[in-house]
Amino acid sequence: MRRLSLRTLGPTLLGILAFLGVLAAIAGRMPLVLLTLVINLLIFAALAYSINFITGLTGYVSFGHVLFMAVGGYGLAYGVGTLHWHPVAGVALGALVSLALALGIGAVTLRFRGVYFAIASQVTALAGFYIVLEVQELGGGQGIVLNVGFEPIAWFYTIWVILAIEVGITYWITHGRLGYGIRSIRADEDAAKTVGVHAAALKLVLFAISGLFAGAAGGVYYWQGSGIFPNEAFSLTFSLIMLAMIVIGGMGTLLGPLFGAVAVYLSSQYFLTVLIGFEFVIIGVLVVVIALFLPEGIVGTLRKYVPELRGLIE
Amino acid sequence: MADFVALFLTDLVLGLLLGCVLAVIAHGLNIIWGVAKVVNVAHGEFIMLGAYGAYFLYLYGGFNPLLSVPIDAAIGLVVGMGFYFGFLYRELRGKESMGLQSELVTLVSTFGLSLVIVNIAQSIWEHPVGILWSPGAAQVGPVPVPFGGLYVAVVSVALIALTDLFLTRTYLGNAIRAYTQDIPATQLMGINPTVVAAVGIGMGFSVTMAGGALLTVWLPTGIDPTKIGILYAPISFVIVVLGGPGKMWGSLVGGLTIGLIINVGQLFLGGSIALATAVAVLTLIPILLFRPEGILR
Repeated sequence: MRRLSLRTLGPTLLGILAFLGVLAAIAGRMPLVLLTLVINLLIFAALAYSINFITGLTGYVSFGHVLFMAVGGYGLAYGVGTLHWHPVAGVALGALVSLALALGIGAVTLRFRGVYFAIASQVTALAGFYIVLEVQELGGGQGIVLNVGFEPIAWFYTIWVILAIEVGITYWITHGRLGYGIRSIRADEDAAKTVGVHAAALKLVLFAISGLFAGAAGGVYYWQGSGIFPNEAFSLTFSLIMLAMIVIGGMGTLLGPLFGAVAVYLSSQYFLTVLIGFEFVIIGVLVVVIALFLPEGIVGTLRKYVPELRGLIE
Repeated sequence: MADFVALFLTDLVLGLLLGCVLAVIAHGLNIIWGVAKVVNVAHGEFIMLGAYGAYFLYLYGGFNPLLSVPIDAAIGLVVGMGFYFGFLYRELRGKESMGLQSELVTLVSTFGLSLVIVNIAQSIWEHPVGILWSPGAAQVGPVPVPFGGLYVAVVSVALIALTDLFLTRTYLGNAIRAYTQDIPATQLMGINPTVVAAVGIGMGFSVTMAGGALLTVWLPTGIDPTKIGILYAPISFVIVVLGGPGKMWGSLVGGLTIGLIINVGQLFLGGSIALATAVAVLTLIPILLFRPEGILR
């Protein structure tokens, strides 16, 4: 057992923790405009880390991650609207339902590799949308409007805690024994199995964690939006944004999802004021260019070409 | 009871007619999948572009969807070759098979492409547009048969037959089939793999965009850029898997199956097209689990 000290944690984790720490310390004093921006940035980052667990670490591309985000939102809406729970309990409910769903779906679809998994994930999201449309308890096609208060500080700390746990788990996975197994799945799954890696179990655990946090982030997103509407909640755009963030930042890295979230969220906010709808065109072009020419994303590319940074970022 | 039989027969006919169109849009994907062993995630967006092609030909030239098929197909051929050189050439060049890393690259990059196309389309064409073309319907016993759907179904099957003839009876077609089976052996036979792959992918896009033109008949609410890709791309994937990737007539079998599940299935699901569509796309999972090679042997 390695002794844990600040030095062994590595500069990347310390940097992220310092960043989160500063945000937590000054959240109460931020102007509301900035606080809203930060909350949304953290939600995006939480979504990016959630998809990073499965797509980034194992290389299984999930096009249907919006499903878990939407389920988290519906869990919150049901908990708050129908059961009259506190929104934080609603977020927890959404996250747990997402986790259960991810276990169920993953047990089947993780058997398929590459293209087939990607298609199966997209298909489950599409089916989820059509099923929700028919469930009257979840508002059917109309969606659910929630009567919750405007509590930016509560939103902030909820998503802050979620993100901090995600970063911790990502660090633990990439630095622990588990990480070797998972990286071997990404490199060559068959070879990994022959040397005794429990590929199926590892993938399922990662997919479940991924679903849990996508659901939690979705819950906070719709808590903040005080309502959920099926057409937007199941929009494939969210799946793409999540994927875009880790592609741009660097798949499977500790810092990549955060970089990607900042890049995607800030550019989307900037272009929103310039030309509506155009932000996704820019993000799309960015994804195409990065996927084709810099498949390691920002973090991987920096590590490759700037040797001084190799010890600093991961 | 007689009512139910009439309803059932009507949905059966509509399901088969719809299935033919779904088959042809999936057929484009099937060809691309067969040739390059990769999936074009932006497939739905090219269906949409094909539909818009038919719309503009109708708007400015008075063409009906059937007449716009050859023009759309020609555009698709050019677009497809451009797509090959832009997205696949670097990944396929000099390789004997597609690795997992390349697969990931094409999945993600074509997903980015779909986002670009769909958002540009949304900002240019804000409102759904439709083509006014209704050649009437015939009453066969209790079943109304819309001529529009019938013509489109015939053209769809003809397109699939045409691609099959091209691939089995011409030199270039045989070269494409050889390429899909064994790239190094194809090269030893003096065939240029780049040309063959570019033509194959171009053909896939040409069928896809022609299918988009044909699909307009089945879009009563018009061409809506936000909805086409999101629905018809997954349906095409499912159809290809049902029929078996790379099997030319598999598309038709898969398309008819999905058309029937949606149209006849909704009768048994309380008339809900939404639930029937959910069931139709979810058939993917049992098929992948139990018959990964598709329905056809």
